[in-house]
Amino acid sequence: MIGAILRRTGLSLLTLVLLAIYIFLATEVLPGDALDVSLSADEISQMPPAQLAKMKHELGLDRPAYERLGEFLLGAARLDFGRTVMTKARVVDIVAYPLRNSLLLAGTVIVIAFPLSLMLGVAAACRYRRPVDTLVSVGAIIGYSVPEFVTGTVLVMLFAVAWPLFPATITASTSDPALVLLAAAPLAVATIVIGSIAYLTRILRVGMVEALSTDFVERLRLTGIPEWRIVLLHALPAAVIPSLTAMALYAAAMVSGLVVVELVFAYPGLGQELVRAVTRREVHVVQVIALFSASVVVVLNLAADLMILALDPRTRRR
Amino acid sequence: MKTVIQRIVRRPLTIVGILLVAFHLTMALAAPLLAPYDPFILIGAPLEPPDATYWLGTDALGRDFLSRLLMGGRISIVAALAAGLIASLVGGLIGLAAAYYRGLFDDIVSRLVEMNLAIPAILFVTLFVTGFGQTLPVLILVISVIKMMGVIRTSRAQGIVLMEMGYVKAARLRGETAASVILRELLPNIADLLAVEFAMRTSSALLLVSALSFLGLGISPPTPDWGLMIHDGLQSIRSEPWLILAPALCVSTLVVGINFAVEGISDALGLEAARGAA
Repeated sequence: MIGAILRRTGLSLLTLVLLAIYIFLATEVLPGDALDVSLSADEISQMPPAQLAKMKHELGLDRPAYERLGEFLLGAARLDFGRTVMTKARVVDIVAYPLRNSLLLAGTVIVIAFPLSLMLGVAAACRYRRPVDTLVSVGAIIGYSVPEFVTGTVLVMLFAVAWPLFPATITASTSDPALVLLAAAPLAVATIVIGSIAYLTRILRVGMVEALSTDFVERLRLTGIPEWRIVLLHALPAAVIPSLTAMALYAAAMVSGLVVVELVFAYPGLGQELVRAVTRREVHVVQVIALFSASVVVVLNLAADLMILALDPRTRRR
Repeated sequence: MKTVIQRIVRRPLTIVGILLVAFHLTMALAAPLLAPYDPFILIGAPLEPPDATYWLGTDALGRDFLSRLLMGGRISIVAALAAGLIASLVGGLIGLAAAYYRGLFDDIVSRLVEMNLAIPAILFVTLFVTGFGQTLPVLILVISVIKMMGVIRTSRAQGIVLMEMGYVKAARLRGETAASVILRELLPNIADLLAVEFAMRTSSALLLVSALSFLGLGISPPTPDWGLMIHDGLQSIRSEPWLILAPALCVSTLVVGINFAVEGISDALGLEAARGAA
């Protein structure tokens, strides 16, 4: 058991280190550095080559890639990502508030979406192939087929334009208290909640359908245990455990959704920061955001696997 | 095969899905013939309301909106189909190769897949599109690489099961080459799986392409494109809501159609498409 936990954790750590290298290389192969983007082509062509080289040297852009990779990895291990090339602002400071805001948005979505998906998934599985199930399944397919930006825009048309309950875009600023931000973002939350419920319900429904058709559930039924007890106490845990991996994978899809929704609603989170940083070639900021969102997925995958190890004794043999 | 078709036909939802996809494909193919005006040319005043001459009115620049709507799916559909095709074919082969060779090759492939699945798709595309230019080939290539990862996982898992089958073992004992075992013994047996993967990946590629266009990172103006049109429509969301609703309806019904069809067909084939649609 302890061996399995250690092996799994070690594997995740290795994946994280490899991811850091991978992200560094991916940002490295991009043509153009911070200097090329912040100066216009005219300025570069008029500048004497010696002066250009001197500027590159001062900014550290002329050092070999492996040297900068080493620095990046050591920095990442200490959560120190240096300063931006042009403005000299600390990267950690730039990313801190957007990071908090995105986590806030994601957390709210999960708190709302997870219990609702559980209810819908269980309800559909208990009425397998009957109207309730068909309704939930069709709803789920539609829910994850409609693009987030369409859902968001339609919600704005309904609840901000036709029936002005909420603001269309978020006017709260980056460093506002958490509750102020959330109060300004109900439509953004609703947009991601819809997609998330669709996805999670689908996963849980399949798990529940499988769990309810097993021999042990049939045996419980024959012993006369009430159906609600079978569903909630016996089938549900058996359905949730194998679904954990798929749910952790969903985290990556949800980050993509968050980025789009943040841009649709002008929510001051990591998604906005990412697009801004990419267009300005603030490579350090891009690296941090990439590394962070990838780490979240890796950590959630690890958590899912460890929970399966803890909850399902069968996985501990081997 | 007959029973599969019977099982497909029995579910009305699958039929709806297939009809939606067929409708959109026909429209996309016939668009140049159907479009009443040139979608690139200014033909009237901006934002004219729908009337007998311009059935859906004109857009913010004064171009015929119906013509642009008809043409607006073509590039996205081509990009998504190409990405889906590359992803399912190349991904299928890599997955099978990993299952055939196991060992170090398998370890490297699996690790790379796991890493790529951990990086959110939109981040990946944003990086590469800004680096290598916002052109169609770059978009297709990046999206197919992203969508390939899931296919590698599925086909590798299936390949590992198949490697234990008697006929595969027999082929290897006969001394057939790796390429021959992979292409002639393994590949035909995951063909139905790959077909479903192709449809699934195409639908999610379509979602990604249109989201990118909407964000200004995908297909660039003046090409008519649904994602772009929805973005442009936001300017006049209060006065001309149909400029948003029409393209929104098009892209949504197309993706819904593909997924209805995928659901029914994979069900009929006895495949579990429900898991891991990421």
